[in-house]
Amino acid sequence: MSDAARRIQNRMRDEVLPPLIILALALGFWELSVQVLDIPPWLLPAPSDIVDRFFKTTTLWYHTGLTVFEALAGFVVSAVLGVSLSAGIVHSRFLERGVFPYVIVSNAIPIIAIIPLLTIWFGFGIAPKIMICSIISFFPIVTNTTRGLKATDRRIIEFMRSINATPSEILLKVQLPSALPFIFASFKIAASLALVGAVVAEFYSSDRGLGYLIITSATQLRTDLLFVAIVVLAALGVSSFMLFGYLERMATRGERSEETQ
Amino acid sequence: MEARRQRDPALTEISGLRSVTASGPARPCIVLDQVSLRFQSERREVQALSDISLTIADGEFVALLGPTGCGKSSLLRLVSDLLAPTAGTIAVRGEPAAAARRLNQFGFVFQEPALLSWRTALGNVQLPLEVVGYPHEKRITRCEELLDSVGLLKFKDAYPHELSGGMKQRAAMVRALAWNPSILLMDEPFSALDELTRGQLQDDLLQLWNRECKTILFVTHNISEAIYLADRIVVMSAHPGRIKVVLRPDLPRPRTDDIHETQEFMRWTRMAREALQS
Repeated sequence: MSDAARRIQNRMRDEVLPPLIILALALGFWELSVQVLDIPPWLLPAPSDIVDRFFKTTTLWYHTGLTVFEALAGFVVSAVLGVSLSAGIVHSRFLERGVFPYVIVSNAIPIIAIIPLLTIWFGFGIAPKIMICSIISFFPIVTNTTRGLKATDRRIIEFMRSINATPSEILLKVQLPSALPFIFASFKIAASLALVGAVVAEFYSSDRGLGYLIITSATQLRTDLLFVAIVVLAALGVSSFMLFGYLERMATRGERSEETQ
Repeated sequence: MEARRQRDPALTEISGLRSVTASGPARPCIVLDQVSLRFQSERREVQALSDISLTIADGEFVALLGPTGCGKSSLLRLVSDLLAPTAGTIAVRGEPAAAARRLNQFGFVFQEPALLSWRTALGNVQLPLEVVGYPHEKRITRCEELLDSVGLLKFKDAYPHELSGGMKQRAAMVRALAWNPSILLMDEPFSALDELTRGQLQDDLLQLWNRECKTILFVTHNISEAIYLADRIVVMSAHPGRIKVVLRPDLPRPRTDDIHETQEFMRWTRMAREALQS
């Protein structure tokens, strides 16, 4: 027990402390420069002003909640569709040849260009935002999952076939679990993309959400509020990245540790 | 030999498998009749196997010995219906290979253990039981029994990366036996192991064969391994894969490590080497 405690302590000292020290120094320098150089707050607000604004903005959680909901909904839709499509692609030559090229092409379309189109079709509500989020996060999920499913040990699949396992048994018991590290890695990328998608969609047409908050505070030169929105977005991005990074490591445990040693 | 034919009553649970008769002449288990296999590779057609005719008796231990590229691994895949022959027929107990596969008659062991990294040793052995529909309540006991038979019971909750190469291969071996298939197909199962571990696993396998009365088709490129283990050695040549000669090393059983030093063993080794080189 004390061993584990010491390990955590060491980790805190070696990995957590250094970036915190650098952050504190940078913030201190920032605060001090704003005070000393007397920079106007619309140009660069001091960290203390930003913190102040953070606590004073009562609508912040409403906007954040909405943006998170759009991103999450879009992400879930594309995770479900993407993983299913990958399973189909791996099992069917026809799907692989017929659909995969379009998946690749879809990545080449600049997402910003189709926001107005989706707005014409679906209005200014939440639906087109969710669509943008799912479209933007679709590509990495499909490509990575397909790669992961294909990377399954050929011999285990042969073994399963030799005992007359059905394709769905092979998929559920062997291919999907072995592709999990790939899938979580793609979720890590897709989740941040979905967040970007939600914000960008809100830029174009919205009266709520973090994207809306950013646009309005910028046009009104409320730079402190702008910073608050950016910090919240960054925090969201980092937490989703960490969550899926953690899941990826959990799923990879054992498999890679053997190879990398 | 007769003792080996006595089946363990606990192991005859799976219905649908025809059990081995306790007496009488050995019936043919696998019959290959003029089997050929051609692959269409990117640039050219490859003749992997040519005109293979071979009859393997029930309970027989047959080694396929040959250089790389002689199609011996493909032969295992033909027998287990993972590949279809270009010409010729394959019968398992008088029926097509596909029927035998549907009845879960084949236990496959590869050169790599090919275990699922996210499952424990026990979970890996249990995998085929989930697929073949082995009775739920007996699965754990069956797996523990199997792991115990190769000295892995202590490690049943260990993940593959926590096991040594030999342990992993033992687990893969009992995984292929879990649902009590009648035919064991082994594709150079010990060739990635060190000398000492290989010896131990060979003995494990012989004991197992003795106990459970399986028909074993064992691919190897190791001459002394083939002689040590098999009743019959099918020596193959490459490009295309053909049967050169079939040897029947009538060394006494049970075979132990000492046999390697006997005159007889060396004579067979020499014969097998000459057959390979001819």
